[in-house]
Amino acid sequence: MVERQMERNVQKNGLVNLVAAVVIFIAAFVLTCYVNSLAGQGCSIFLGLGALVAFASWFQMRLEENERLEKLEVEELARTRGDSTLFESKDAEVFPARRAREQFEKFFVPGFAVLLFLLEAGGAWLLWHWVAKTTNAVAPDLAMTSLSLFGIFALLLFLLGRFSVTIARLENHRLLRPGANFLLAGAYICLVTALGSAGVEAKFPRADFYLARVLCVLLGVMAVEMLVTLLLEIYRPRVKGKVARPIYDSRLTGLLAQPESLFTTAAQALDYQFGFKVSETWVFQLLQRSLPVLFLAQLAVLLLSTCVVFIEPGEQGVLERFGRLDTGRPVLNPGAHLLWPWPMDKVYRYRTGQIQMFDVGFTPDPQSEKLRTILWTVVHTKEEVNFLVGSAAPTTITNQSANNSDLLKVAPVGLIDVSVPVQFQITNVLDWAYNNADPTNLLQDLATRATIHYLAGVDLNHVLSHGRLEAAQDLRERIQADANRHRLGAKIIFVGVQDIHPPVKVAGDYEKVVAATQERIAATNNAAADAIRTNALASAQAFADVNQARASRTRTELAAFARADLFTNQIAAYEAAPSVYRQRAYYQMFPQATANARKYILLVTNTHDVVIFDLEDKIRADLLNMNMPSSSRNSTSP
Amino acid sequence: MKRNLLIIIVGAVLVVIFALLLFTFQVRQSEVAVVTTFGRITGPPCQPGLHLKWPWPIQQVYKFDERIQDFQDKFSENFTADNITLIMSIYVGWRISDAPAFLNSFKDGSVSAAQSQLQSMLTSAKSAVVGSNSLSAFVNADPKQLKFDQIQNEIEQAVRDELQTNNYGIQIEFLGIKKLGLPASVTEAVFTRMKSERNILISQAQNEGAAEAIKITANANRQASETLADAQAQATRIEGEGVAEAAKTLPIFQENPDLAVFLLRIGAVQQALNQNATLIFDQHMPPFDLFQDLPTNMPSH
Repeated sequence: MVERQMERNVQKNGLVNLVAAVVIFIAAFVLTCYVNSLAGQGCSIFLGLGALVAFASWFQMRLEENERLEKLEVEELARTRGDSTLFESKDAEVFPARRAREQFEKFFVPGFAVLLFLLEAGGAWLLWHWVAKTTNAVAPDLAMTSLSLFGIFALLLFLLGRFSVTIARLENHRLLRPGANFLLAGAYICLVTALGSAGVEAKFPRADFYLARVLCVLLGVMAVEMLVTLLLEIYRPRVKGKVARPIYDSRLTGLLAQPESLFTTAAQALDYQFGFKVSETWVFQLLQRSLPVLFLAQLAVLLLSTCVVFIEPGEQGVLERFGRLDTGRPVLNPGAHLLWPWPMDKVYRYRTGQIQMFDVGFTPDPQSEKLRTILWTVVHTKEEVNFLVGSAAPTTITNQSANNSDLLKVAPVGLIDVSVPVQFQITNVLDWAYNNADPTNLLQDLATRATIHYLAGVDLNHVLSHGRLEAAQDLRERIQADANRHRLGAKIIFVGVQDIHPPVKVAGDYEKVVAATQERIAATNNAAADAIRTNALASAQAFADVNQARASRTRTELAAFARADLFTNQIAAYEAAPSVYRQRAYYQMFPQATANARKYILLVTNTHDVVIFDLEDKIRADLLNMNMPSSSRNSTSP
Repeated sequence: MKRNLLIIIVGAVLVVIFALLLFTFQVRQSEVAVVTTFGRITGPPCQPGLHLKWPWPIQQVYKFDERIQDFQDKFSENFTADNITLIMSIYVGWRISDAPAFLNSFKDGSVSAAQSQLQSMLTSAKSAVVGSNSLSAFVNADPKQLKFDQIQNEIEQAVRDELQTNNYGIQIEFLGIKKLGLPASVTEAVFTRMKSERNILISQAQNEGAAEAIKITANANRQASETLADAQAQATRIEGEGVAEAAKTLPIFQENPDLAVFLLRIGAVQQALNQNATLIFDQHMPPFDLFQDLPTNMPSH
C-alpha cells in the first residue's frame, strides 16, 4: 500500500515537473520576445527541450505504473484461482500494459531521442546564424525586467529541480531524473541569462550576445552527446532484468544540473590515488561543506565592493541615489568615497581635468603622421573634407565680366581643405552630464558648423594667407560662444587652423602661380641686366666715337699743317726746276703707285689685231695655289 | 538542517531582490518615465527617483532621456534659387518635451522612429529654404551678403511649425548646418574653374613679366641709341673743328696753285692704283716709251 502511494507521488512529481517546465518555457519565450534577449532564445530552446523530456518521462512513468498494476491484478487473480499458469503466460492479450510499455521503449523512446537530437542540432545551428545576423539586443530599459524575471524563473526551477533530483535518487524513481535534471540545469541557464541582462544594465551590451553564443555551443554539444548515445544504444548488451537508463536522459544535462557529482568523482579518484580516504579528511569535508557559503561570501564581497568608489586624478564623478542626483554631494572629486551598495547608488565618471581633443575637417592618418615633409600636392590625412569657401575672382576676370550680368549672378565659390584640431576641457560636470545626451558629439557639431560658417564668408586667398591667425581666433570665440549658449559646461582651450590648403587636385596650379611670379621677376631682372649692358656698351661706344673724332681732328690738323710746311719747301724746289721737279715727282710716284697693279704694255702698232685680255680675278689664290701632299707615303716628289 | 536553513535564507534574499527589481524602478536624473497599465498611460510622468510599479505585463515603464539629443540628417542634394545643386546636412538638437505625447506618437516611444520623423520634416524644410535662396546666400566672400544664420532660422522655424501642428512631444532646441558641399561633378567643375583662375594668374605673371622685360630692353636700347647719336654728333662736330682748323693752311697752297694741284693729282693717282688695278699701257706712255726703239716681230712697213 505504501509502495502504491509512493508510485502515485512519483507520477504527481513528474506531472508537476512537466507543468512547471511547460509554463516556465512559455513564460521565458514570451519574455525573450518582449525584451529581445539573444541568450533568452537559447534558454527558451533549452527549457522547451526540458518540457519535452519531462513529458516523455512522465508518460513512461504512467506506462510502468499501469504495468505494475496489471501485474498485481494478475497475481491477485492467480491467487484467487490457485492457478499459476496464468501468471506464467506470455500472451500479449493477458499483459497489454506490459506490451504497451515494451512497445513504447522499443519504438517511441529511440524515435524521441532522434527527435531530441534533431531539435538540439537544428536549434544550435539556427540560433548561431540568427545571432550572427540579428541586430536585436536587450534594450537597456528592459534589462532590469529581463534580469528579475529570469532570476525568478531560475529560483523556481532550482527549488523544484533540486527537490525532484533528491527524490529521483530513491529506488524506482529513476524516471524522475531526466526531467529533474533539465529543470535544475534550466535554473542555472536562466540564472546565466539573467546575468547577461545584468551585464547589459552595467553597460556591457555584448554580454547578452556572447552568452547566446555559449548556449549555441552547449546545444551543439548536447546534440553530439545524444547522437553518440543513440549509436551506443544499438550495440548495448541487453541483460534481462536489468533496468536500462532512458536514452533521452542526457548525462551532460545531469552534469550541468549536479556539478557536485564531479566533486564526488574527484574525491574517489583522490582516494584511489593516495591510498587513503582523502575525501574523509577535515579539510576536504570543510571545503565540500563550505563551498556554497564561500560562493555566497564571494557574492557579498562583490556587492560590498560597490560601496566604495575611487575617483582617479583628472576625473570627477556624478553621484545618483535611486537615479536622482544626490543633493548632499552631487559631484565627487578625486579620492575614495563611500556609497550605498548597487543599485541604490551609482557613480558616473567624467574626465574633467584632462584636455580632450577632436578634429574637424580631417581624419588623422597614422601612416601620414610619420611623414617628415607635408606637401599640398600629396594627400597626408586619411579623409580630407572639401569646405566651401567664398572666392573673390581675380581682378582680370572681374573686369572682363563687368558687363556680363549672367556671370555676376553666380557667386564664385572655391573649395579648401582645412584641419582644425579643437581642444577642450569640461568645466562644469553637471552641465556636461545632464544638459545634452551626447555632449562630445554636440561640441563637434558646433565646431564643424562654426568652421563651415566662417569659411563660407571669407575669401579663399585671404584665409590661405594672412587670414589664418585671425581665423583661429575667430573660430575659438565662435565655438566657445555656441558651447556657452547650449550650456555644455566646457571650455575651449585651443582651436588651431593648421594645414590649410587648396584641395590636392588644384594645389599644383597654386604652386604654378608662385612659379610664374618668380619667372616674371626673373624676366624683368634679365631685361634689366640687358639694359644695363646695352647702356654701358653704348656709353663706351660713344666715348670711343668722341675720342676717335678728337683723334681724327688732331690728325687732320696736324696733317694739314705738315702738308703746308712741306708745300712751302716744295715751292722752292719747284721754282728752281719746274719741269724736272714734276718729272721727278711723277717717276717717284709711278713705281710705288703701280707696284701692286697688273700692268699690260702694248708694244704693237698694227691696230687690226684684236687683243683679248682675261681680266678675271684669281679667286682664293691661297687655296688653289696650295701644294697638296702626296697620296702615297713612299712616293717621292719629282 | 543548518544547510537547509542557509538555502532558505539565500532563496528568501533572492526572492526579495527579484521582487524589488520587479516592483520598483529607478528614473535617472536625466530621464523621465511614463507608466502604462495594460497599455494605457496612467498618472503623470515620473520624475527622477525610486518608484513603485506592478510587474510586467500589468504595468510597463517607458523611460525617456530628457536631455537634448543630437541628430544629424542626411547629406542631401537640393536646388538653390539660382539653379545650382547644393548638398547640405543639418544637425538638430531636440528634446522630449512631453513624454506621454511622445509615447503615443511613436511605437514604444522609439527614439529612432522620432528621428525618422524629424528626418522627413528636416528634408522638407531644408528643400524649401534652400530653394528660395541663391548660392551666394550660403557662400560669399562678402560676409554682408551671407545669410547663414537667417537660413538656419528659417529651417528651424519651419520644423517648429510642423511640430506644433501635430503634438509629437518633441521640442527643437537648436539647429545648424553641419555640412555644406557640392555634388562630385560640380566639385570637379569648381576645381576646373579654380585651375582656370590660376591659369589667368600664371598667364598674367608670365606675360606681364615678358612685357616688362621688353619695355626695359626697349628703354635701354633707346637710351643707348641716344647716347650713341649724341656721341656721333659730338664726334662730327669735333671732326668739323679739325677740318676747319686744317683749312687754315689752304692759303699756303694758294701761293703756287699749279704745284698744289699737281701734287694732289699725284696723290690721287697713288691712292687710286693702290689695290687690284689693271693698267694697260702702250709704248707712248712714259716711262714705257723706252720700249719704242726696241726690235719687234712686226713686219716693217
